[in-house]
Amino acid sequence: MSKRLVTEAGTFALMAAVPLFVGGNAYGMGLLTLVTIYAIALIGLDVTVGYLGQINLGQAAFMALGAYASGLAVTGLGWSMAPALLAAVLVGLIAGAFLALPALRLEGPQFALATLSFASLVVILLNELESVTNGAQGLSLVRPLLFGLKLTPAGFYWTCLGLLALLWMGMRNLLSSHWGRSFEALRDSPIATDAVGVSVYGRKVAAFALGSSLGALAGGLYAFDFQYLQPDGFRYDQMVILLLGVVLGGRKSLWGAFLGAVLIVLLPNLLSSRPVFEAIAAIGFLASLVAAGRRWREEGGLPFQAIAPVVATGLMVLGGFLVQSLEDWRKAVFALILFAVVVGLPEGVMGYVGRTLVRLFGGRRRPLPPPAALDAVLPFQENHGAVPLAVSGLSCRFGGLIALAGLDLEVRSGEIHGLIGPNGSGKSTAINVISGLYPAASGVVRLDGRVLPGGSLTRAARAGIARTFQNLQLFLELTALENIMVALRHVYRLPLPLIMAGLGRREEATARSEALALLTLVGLGDYAGVKAADLPYGTQRFLEIARALACRPRLLILDEPAAGLSSPDIKVLIGIMERIRERRIPVILIEHHMDIVAELCDRVTVLDGGKVIATGTPAEIQNHPDVIRAYLGTIAGERAGGSETGAQPC
Amino acid sequence: MQWMIIGQMAVSGAAMGFVYALVAYGFQMTYATSKSINFGQGELVMVSAFISLSVADMGLPYGVVVPVGLLSGALLGLFVERVAVRFALVQKTEGWILMTIIVGLFAVSAAENIWGKDERPFPTPISREALDIGGGISVTPVELSVALGVILVMVLVEIFRRWTLLGKAVDAVSADRDAAELMGISATNAIAISYALSGAVAALAGILVAPITSVGPTMASALILKAFSVAVVAGLQSGSGVALVGISLGVLESLASFYLGSGWRETPGLVLLILALALKPNGIFGTATIRKV
Repeated sequence: MSKRLVTEAGTFALMAAVPLFVGGNAYGMGLLTLVTIYAIALIGLDVTVGYLGQINLGQAAFMALGAYASGLAVTGLGWSMAPALLAAVLVGLIAGAFLALPALRLEGPQFALATLSFASLVVILLNELESVTNGAQGLSLVRPLLFGLKLTPAGFYWTCLGLLALLWMGMRNLLSSHWGRSFEALRDSPIATDAVGVSVYGRKVAAFALGSSLGALAGGLYAFDFQYLQPDGFRYDQMVILLLGVVLGGRKSLWGAFLGAVLIVLLPNLLSSRPVFEAIAAIGFLASLVAAGRRWREEGGLPFQAIAPVVATGLMVLGGFLVQSLEDWRKAVFALILFAVVVGLPEGVMGYVGRTLVRLFGGRRRPLPPPAALDAVLPFQENHGAVPLAVSGLSCRFGGLIALAGLDLEVRSGEIHGLIGPNGSGKSTAINVISGLYPAASGVVRLDGRVLPGGSLTRAARAGIARTFQNLQLFLELTALENIMVALRHVYRLPLPLIMAGLGRREEATARSEALALLTLVGLGDYAGVKAADLPYGTQRFLEIARALACRPRLLILDEPAAGLSSPDIKVLIGIMERIRERRIPVILIEHHMDIVAELCDRVTVLDGGKVIATGTPAEIQNHPDVIRAYLGTIAGERAGGSETGAQPC
Repeated sequence: MQWMIIGQMAVSGAAMGFVYALVAYGFQMTYATSKSINFGQGELVMVSAFISLSVADMGLPYGVVVPVGLLSGALLGLFVERVAVRFALVQKTEGWILMTIIVGLFAVSAAENIWGKDERPFPTPISREALDIGGGISVTPVELSVALGVILVMVLVEIFRRWTLLGKAVDAVSADRDAAELMGISATNAIAISYALSGAVAALAGILVAPITSVGPTMASALILKAFSVAVVAGLQSGSGVALVGISLGVLESLASFYLGSGWRETPGLVLLILALALKPNGIFGTATIRKV
């Protein structure tokens, strides 16, 4: 058993044992139960705030929806606990998806505003639908039976703790699967995530709905814990408290959510005692002074990040002397603590602890499996007789600028097809339209004879188009191996619930060995465990090619793969291209290095002004008068019939 | 009779709508330069109103109260930028959302302790006597002053942006931060200026609305939600858009509270917001940005 599992099992066993000692203390039991309930809500909130990196101000509303759903199921329909909680989860899932569908098309502040508005709308509805919810008067209920059992306070606590443990394991499984990896990937590069056929939008909506359902479950438990509900209990303040729990505890961490729950339950109690408050303030002040002193010694200056916590905790110490009633200033104290933590420990308490543990004991690294056989990963593509890619009459415009004016292009089976042209001739637009990044104004793209749906990177990728990017779009925080695993869509077949149940390990092992095979193909076998951000530039380009190959493309589009490469790296690139040709994968290659084009390409299409001006073998193209004119311009005197663009040689 | 009531509701609703528009306009200013907004703007409105009230309580005339209020709003805006926004922008995170909420939380607590939790009337020299404007519909000079004040300040800000060097610098940073910095414009200063302006605009909103709603620690919590809605529905780019959406929202909710009951007052804004998100996620007057690779 791993150390992690021992720690987790130990903690839960300890938590479960507590009622045996303090079972008679109703107040203590109440706090403990609340910790488990908040931990569930915070784990759900952390999905959006931590893993998706979006500030979500709606979790309190989902708690409210869950609380009222299960409360009404009990009072109105007479359901018992298990179905009532299930109803809460369903309501959370549905409402979460309902909000996520429009809101997740937004980013940053707009998303936060959308969730905030949803939250206010929920509170208004609960207040105003008096006939159903009893409005502001509140809803009283009696804790229902669980499978025919009447629960004691300790029994209810164990129920909550059991649910928390189950969810904990489920989330752990989910986050260590390809789902967790895609969350990481879509924060680093949403475009590349879409381009490998993993829909950013789909993942976000699913993740948000999941997080919301956890909030609703916590709400259901909350209803059975307090047995009295009021809409105003789930207002803005509650939402701020939840958000603070996640941030204080530490984002992107189950332990962080747990610690956050402990903190938000205990802090108000701790702060109501003056000596405890003064001790916390003094310790915080000293700690931030020490941290600031350290930075002063190391950097010779004091950045905002060092000063702000000192000022905030200093204000708390000062407040301890000046303020008569701490209770009146509770929100301000909360704000100061938060401010100090958010600035001083941006990764939260667990983020800091986790980093320290890794520094002390070193991170774990799983041993690599042997690479899979390449033929299994990247099967040879037989020629079905159909033309892999046929583009006809494709046009695209940006406002008044016509970037593509009726492009026709054909890529034959197993060929490397060069796409060249002066700057601004429409090469990049062409592949951006083919790969679905831009919608076409008119025209048709056929892949293996089937019409490609336009305007969606994800759908084009799922149809079989894989691409690289001129400006690299790697998942910088993931390792080289993980970068490729994100794109191995064909390996991952299990639905989400089964992954949460822990059945995804087999797929994971297959993915690792297949990814390693692809890394070996591009010569990066030794870099598997290195973070993409730490790879040298040339190597990053090769990693992108390997990631595109992981999609098992029917057509591979390479956008200037040699840009910025040193000449030894260019030799490596040519080697990789030869190996791709051996697998008979059709390729469109945009490239400005004419020697590479001449060496690799079977045929070349030349664009100018958004139109094809020539197609043929590299040798034919080199001597084509229109091509020469497009690149070098016309000599005065033979201007007639010249190209309209002021083309420059690349 | 029916139409008269609707007309009357529309007129008094429009006055509030102007205030929503003004606060939303303040969001646009900081969003333009820094892609960030102050989630504690409602608290800023409230604190500025309290400061103005304290100045008025000292017996100083309205002509002093307003400039002091605006100045305090600008200073508070600068404070928010320095304490809660700059650090997060340097790190290129969205930490400012949380940080501005935290500063707002502190402000509420401080205001409760300094000025008390009670709602207090705001003295104004402008008459509250209703004037008949024909058709049985009446409007108070206070309501008129809100509309005039909002229009005046929007015009002034436009003039600042178009015809002063500083305003053009702020505009340049909004258009392209990197290019502006290469031209020797300090983006940090431009963002600070936009926060100061936004704070002053919020303070004006507080001073204008205070005679209608009275002053208290929670006076702006509903107002700010609607300003958020207006900003999102109109899009965070168009100044005339917020005015239009703000006024329509004010009218709509005044009608909603009359026909559905006062508890439903906030719903049109929120429903409008959710509709806008579903149909035009970048706002009615906003423009979608092209994804570039």
